[in-house]
Amino acid sequence: MKKLLSTLIASLMLLSVSACSPSSNNSTTTETKTGDTVSLTVWGSQEEQAVLQGMVDEFIQAHPETKWDIKLGVVSEADAKTRYLEDPAAAADVFAFANDQINDLVGAGALYKVTRNAEEIKSRNSEGSIEGASYDGQLYGYPMTADNGYFLYYDSSVFTEEDVKSLDAMLAKAAAANKKVFMDVSNGWYIASFFLGNGGTLTIEDGVQVTNFNNEKGLETAEAIKAFTADPAFLTGDDSILVAGMGDTIAAGVSGTWNAAAIKEALGDNYAATKLPEFTTKSGLVQMGSFVGYKVLGVNSQTKYPEQAMDLADFLTNEDNQKKRFEARQLLPSNINAASMPEVSEDVAIAALQAQNPFGTSQKNVLGTYWAPAEAFGATMEAKDYSTDLKTLLDTMVEQISTKPSSN
Amino acid sequence: MEVKSTFNKIFSLFVYEIKNFFINFIKGDLITKTSYFVMGFGSLARKQYVKGLFFLLIQVLYIIFMVSSGGYYLSMLKTLGINTQGEVWDEKAQIFRVQQGDNSMLLLLFGVSAILVTIVLIGFYFWQVKIAIRNERLIKEGKKLPTFKQDYRDMFDKNFHITILLVPVVLTVLFTVVPLIFMILIAFTNFDKNHQPPGNLFTWVGLSNFQNIFGGNALWSSTFARLFVWTIIWAVFATFLNYFLGMLLAIIINKKGIKLKKMWRTIFVTTIAVPQFVSLMLMAKLLHDQGALNVLLKNLGLVSDFIPFLSDPFLAKVTIIIVNLWVGIPYTMLITSGVLLNIPEDIYEASKLDGASPRQQFFYITLPYMLHVTTPYLITQFVGNINNFNVIYLLTGGGPLSLNLYQAGETDLLVTWLYKLTVNEQNYSLASTIGIIIFIVVSVVSLIVYNNTSAVKQEDDFS
Amino acid sequence: MKNKERMSNLLIYTILSVLSVIWIFPIAWLVMQSFRKEGGAFTSYIIPKQWTLDNYIKLFTDTRLFNFPRWFMNTLFVAVCTCIITTIIVLLTSYAFSRLRFKMRKPLMNIILVLGMFPGFMAMIAIYHILKAFGLVQSLTSLILVYSGGAAMGYYIAKGFFDTIPKAIDEAALIDGATKNQVFWKITLPMSKPIIVYTVLTSFIAPWLDFIFVSVIMKDNYSSYTVALGLFQMISRENITQYFTQFCAGAVIIAIPITILFITMQKYYVGGVTAGGAKG
Repeated sequence: MKKLLSTLIASLMLLSVSACSPSSNNSTTTETKTGDTVSLTVWGSQEEQAVLQGMVDEFIQAHPETKWDIKLGVVSEADAKTRYLEDPAAAADVFAFANDQINDLVGAGALYKVTRNAEEIKSRNSEGSIEGASYDGQLYGYPMTADNGYFLYYDSSVFTEEDVKSLDAMLAKAAAANKKVFMDVSNGWYIASFFLGNGGTLTIEDGVQVTNFNNEKGLETAEAIKAFTADPAFLTGDDSILVAGMGDTIAAGVSGTWNAAAIKEALGDNYAATKLPEFTTKSGLVQMGSFVGYKVLGVNSQTKYPEQAMDLADFLTNEDNQKKRFEARQLLPSNINAASMPEVSEDVAIAALQAQNPFGTSQKNVLGTYWAPAEAFGATMEAKDYSTDLKTLLDTMVEQISTKPSSN
Repeated sequence: MEVKSTFNKIFSLFVYEIKNFFINFIKGDLITKTSYFVMGFGSLARKQYVKGLFFLLIQVLYIIFMVSSGGYYLSMLKTLGINTQGEVWDEKAQIFRVQQGDNSMLLLLFGVSAILVTIVLIGFYFWQVKIAIRNERLIKEGKKLPTFKQDYRDMFDKNFHITILLVPVVLTVLFTVVPLIFMILIAFTNFDKNHQPPGNLFTWVGLSNFQNIFGGNALWSSTFARLFVWTIIWAVFATFLNYFLGMLLAIIINKKGIKLKKMWRTIFVTTIAVPQFVSLMLMAKLLHDQGALNVLLKNLGLVSDFIPFLSDPFLAKVTIIIVNLWVGIPYTMLITSGVLLNIPEDIYEASKLDGASPRQQFFYITLPYMLHVTTPYLITQFVGNINNFNVIYLLTGGGPLSLNLYQAGETDLLVTWLYKLTVNEQNYSLASTIGIIIFIVVSVVSLIVYNNTSAVKQEDDFS
Repeated sequence: MKNKERMSNLLIYTILSVLSVIWIFPIAWLVMQSFRKEGGAFTSYIIPKQWTLDNYIKLFTDTRLFNFPRWFMNTLFVAVCTCIITTIIVLLTSYAFSRLRFKMRKPLMNIILVLGMFPGFMAMIAIYHILKAFGLVQSLTSLILVYSGGAAMGYYIAKGFFDTIPKAIDEAALIDGATKNQVFWKITLPMSKPIIVYTVLTSFIAPWLDFIFVSVIMKDNYSSYTVALGLFQMISRENITQYFTQFCAGAVIIAIPITILFITMQKYYVGGVTAGGAKG
């Protein structure tokens, strides 16, 4: 009985205590008095931690008038939205996220508008990155990198600089050398480069993804994808296949900077990279497009210290710190001055990414409904399943991309 | 008919209890009457101090809880929040200062918790009223009231079931029942991307999610139907193949005269020891179009082109079922060899004397016994497989994707499809609506099956 | 007769050997990958060209990005606690449902059966907020609670097992004046070794495998991660090429405590109820 009693009482007390805690919901955040300790949390990916720590220390030194308590937490840019929405109140005051999450984050009221020092922030970062961190023309984040894109790695012992300008020339030469040209066509992110290059658009209207991938040009594009995937020199797979085969069975492949080190090691002196090639459609040669993604810092709308959090985010993404981030992690900066450092263009992979960027499309306007149908279309092409004609496939794909499962 | 009579029985019992509750109040003495308002008084005033204090404490705690926060949460259940997050321009700081609003999700969750706490309190309330009445009766009859010592002894004998079920039930309520009610209620709200806390509120919308599901577009319902069929096929194969093959493995390892039993068991159990996400990821790499197995087969000259183990719609389904055998058989082997050891040896001896072959022994002794003991296990396995997120998600991710399915692949189960819908579209209300539909189908079927199995029907007459 | 027996045994050994090869092959591949010196996430050949111990050494020394030793100890702690609590809960619940007779038994059994059937991933956020209300979030305690909180729902298997233990044994004890409590500890439990082994093993394994709940509960608290979540970080897009072989080494290390546990518990495995009954 005693045991029973104590367990019961303990659990009941816990229940009552628990329920008392979260009632201070409605208070408006008040201005902080000077002299208070300002405690902030910053979320960054785990590879970023060491760099971040150094920057935070500098920030604290630069602002001795305030007592700071700044903690770092590990949440990757890709997971930021998920972790945030699970519990906004426990999320970091300043957090890094991939900019394709900005629609959802702004929709959820998760971000503070960037209004402090906004003009300077806009002027020092590339136009694309500012657009990528904005929603309806209002800036919501601090651009940090412009690294999330893809381009072409190739083996310079197989291809000349002239060859890699045209996909057809590459396929022919690779076939002659008994090697492959790698691209993960059954992946919405990569397959889009064909459509986007040939006048395809992705926009959002009333929360629904609108696209013209099934118009006449889209059909031309699809024909080109079909021809590419049917080519004997074509190879698909994931990153690990590319890295393992590069220099061996694979002569060229489409990927991003995260594989640069591994591919450089595999190719040695023959390591080369450039923008994506042109592909042939019925109406002529078309430069492949691509998705461009940015890493952005956001300030949590639930923070107690909005001004301080904004100043910190501003500091963490300024020119000096973007340079430092580049030096430590080789991520292409979004800051205009930092991106034009000579070291940036000396890096083969980053120079290629920079060369591809003018043909890029911001990934911001892509909704969750896009990925699965685009992947399904790519998978159908890779499987060489031509039982349905291309136009019907495209129509189905577009229909799926633009439907909402329910209407509430 | 039977349902109706059960319902009638419950109803009349309810009426009877309520009637008694009031009659006893009128008939009861002052102490009993007071206990209708002050919990535990019926025991306290009759010298059962521990019991009395216990009930009194519960009442006090409940009042504190309701005043401090419970009442607030209960009152917010109706609207799920009224203050939307707003913002005001702060000229000095040059920012739009955010004014925080209500969080509908938390209001719903804590509202549910407050209801549950209240139900628990009502339970304790009626319990202590009953004790007060019984105490009064015992005193009138001149009998002694149960002492603390007696109660304590009962906890480990007569009321042993309450003692040992208390902790499991409390944990289940906290970590399963509350979340479950919360999830079910979400289906009756408009919690989706456009109503996402903290920036927005969501609220009750009645049955409109269910209407949307049944009146959705054609592709949508055909996807639901196709995935439903595949989910059932998968669950049947995954459950029964694993079961029979695992049992066979256990039987041959346990066979008399087979040496190194421990070694064989350990070999199979080692595969359990490697985390499932690792082994499944390795399997995915191994079976990839360019994976090690294909390379091996090609090098051996067995195939000219790669075999699309995971990229062909039909082959992928077969591969998944086979890989799942690899994952699942060691578990069935473990559980069935435990039970096999329990079959009395003399039954086999006797049947051997009667000239039974090993096959007859299996079908007439082993299998019936195993089925008797493990039908509940089979049911939970079946249900587990219907909701088997890990194997599908880690092995194929639902792929190969198909344009004939809405946002889904050939090997997607309903549950992985649900997951994709929530992740891609954040449509929580729709997801939980589908969840409820699956839940109803599965639980009705398994309740019927379970209550009609020999294991339950004759649980008292076996052995 | 003897020849026939030998033939069938031979057949069984052959089958067992073939099956063992099939079961061990992926594991062996994993082990070989963990000793592979060449980097990269994938090789088109099976046997590494060069062997090394570096992957294991780095796992324990290079803790800058991935604090494997810390995560390993976290997981071990959580696993031991979870395993003890779960086993006790499962045994108590199934004993109550199998051996004791009380008013609400059948309905309670059915309710608990049904509870386990709702697709659970949406429950995670609710569970997170319940734990947060108790002030337990981001701690190892909360993980233990999450892993053992649903234990009661797994009572079926053990109940089925208890049902097979002849009732006459406890009835005799009850007549001799034992309480139900004593019957449970002194008679039923010693006869239930196989099912205890099963429960201990499965509940000990769970924390080593889960990477979903732990990511919701721990969020940014990197030092309280468990190995599964930590290992998952190693195979993200940015890390997989560099860390894949270390990832394999980590997976091999996880398998060690579980295998040891099983081998040590195996001796309790043989001799089931019948043997126990004869002794008792």
